[in-house]
Amino acid sequence: MSRATTPCPEAISTSMPSKQPGVIVTRRHHLLVRWSHWLNVPILLGLILSGISIYWASPIYQHKPDPITGTFDLAADIGIWICAHVPGLHRYSSPPDWVYNHMSLGPGMLAVALRLHWLCAYAFMLNGAVYVAGLIAGGGWRGLLPRRTDLFDALRMFRYYIGFPLAKLVRRQWPHPSSNTKYNALQRAAYFTIPIAGFLSVTTGWAIHKPMQFHSLAAIFGGFDATRVWHFWLMWVFTLFVVPHVILVFADGWDTLRGMITGWSARVRRPEVTANEQ
Amino acid sequence: MSNKVRRFFGERPLPQIEVDSQVLGRRTRRDLLLFGAGTVAALAGARSLLPQALRIDDDVAESLYSPRRMVPTYTKSQITQLKNNYNGATPDPSYIPGWHVTLDGLASGLSVALDIRNLMTRFSIHEQITRLVCVEGWSAVAWWAGLRFDDLLRAYPPASQARWVRVESSVNLDASGNPDPYYVSIDLATARHPQTLLATHLNGQPLTVEHGAPLRLMVPVKLGLKNVKAITGLTYVAQESRDYWAERGYSHYDGI
Repeated sequence: MSRATTPCPEAISTSMPSKQPGVIVTRRHHLLVRWSHWLNVPILLGLILSGISIYWASPIYQHKPDPITGTFDLAADIGIWICAHVPGLHRYSSPPDWVYNHMSLGPGMLAVALRLHWLCAYAFMLNGAVYVAGLIAGGGWRGLLPRRTDLFDALRMFRYYIGFPLAKLVRRQWPHPSSNTKYNALQRAAYFTIPIAGFLSVTTGWAIHKPMQFHSLAAIFGGFDATRVWHFWLMWVFTLFVVPHVILVFADGWDTLRGMITGWSARVRRPEVTANEQ
Repeated sequence: MSNKVRRFFGERPLPQIEVDSQVLGRRTRRDLLLFGAGTVAALAGARSLLPQALRIDDDVAESLYSPRRMVPTYTKSQITQLKNNYNGATPDPSYIPGWHVTLDGLASGLSVALDIRNLMTRFSIHEQITRLVCVEGWSAVAWWAGLRFDDLLRAYPPASQARWVRVESSVNLDASGNPDPYYVSIDLATARHPQTLLATHLNGQPLTVEHGAPLRLMVPVKLGLKNVKAITGLTYVAQESRDYWAERGYSHYDGI
């Protein structure tokens, strides 16, 4: 890949002048941050799969029973629609269960789903504490704080990501917006939001799990039923974060992925180059 | 913002170190293996911890319980519809005229049978509008009236070693209408909570068969599944008794 099309040209070269025997690496992620990052993969997967099975028992998006199908659950309607319109699914045995069969532990699994959800929830809280400890120990929290210029910079990054595939198609140069911080504004917004979403997921989770002992907590979110809606949509915050997160990590290259494994990045920033690009 | 504050919150340059180029490769391999092994170990651990998860959560719920912490009460305008959530068929109301509740495990060593007239004339009736929360996730605000479980415990004290009460309904039916006795365990501390009622009325009317006529448990600090309808027996025991839904994979304590 040429430098101009590398998603992160501000992070420069992996090869050093020949007189230096080694490579310069930057320490990007503290061990505890990396550890909790990877543990989040099975924990979040367990939480979401079991959570959708719990949702099945009493969906928050319901309507009057459909006169033809008899379903009242929006997720069942979506399953019926998918089976009617996606080629190859016309003979699916139970269309109303399609969503639950593919995105949860399955319908009718409430007891198991609750067990798994609570196990993962306790693990998620512990893991969150480990993550925060890692952010403090490694000083990484500073890199996540929003900046005054972030709104403009985030729009520039957004334009870059949207235009990148098009520019590739027409073989045009599409320089990465320069930045001299650990993360660009869009990354910062995402990585700042996710811990907050995690905190809110835990809070709303407790509020609906212990609605009598923590009823004042549920009151903050608008009562028991409203808190269930919060909890449901917070799940979508994680889901919608993970998709571009994974795509961009692979688009960005091995160094970024390796950075979360070893903590080291071999892309060493040279401030004078960044200055030249501006 | 002072410079000091800005320096504290400001991003710092990432620390750089020089390493041998082979070190980077070796460390990558080592950490990949370590994280991979860690993930496998975490999954294996989760599998074995699965049965314990409910017990931990039950212990947490029990430690949160306080006899002095009241559940929120509502106004009549906040009452919502309460559905009949009998797991199987709704019993035939023919059991109601001959109904009585049997108390066992009493300090007196006797077995006591009480009918609904006994209960309603001997005990003062309390009203409360509280939320009933189902394990499935739905909830309903309803207006209940009945005697305090605590008052019954004072009138008929359980044996001194009793810590649990087995609450059962022999009129419960399964989905095809066959007898399917229902039983839950309630810890005596929860039974003594001032908002734990043996309810006789819903929304100002005597309980209908759908809601457990003539007497049901109304324990708002527990999930709905502990709120046994049409109670026919209360047995005080020292060890936690069997529980219908715990035997079907749900938790035991169910404190909310």
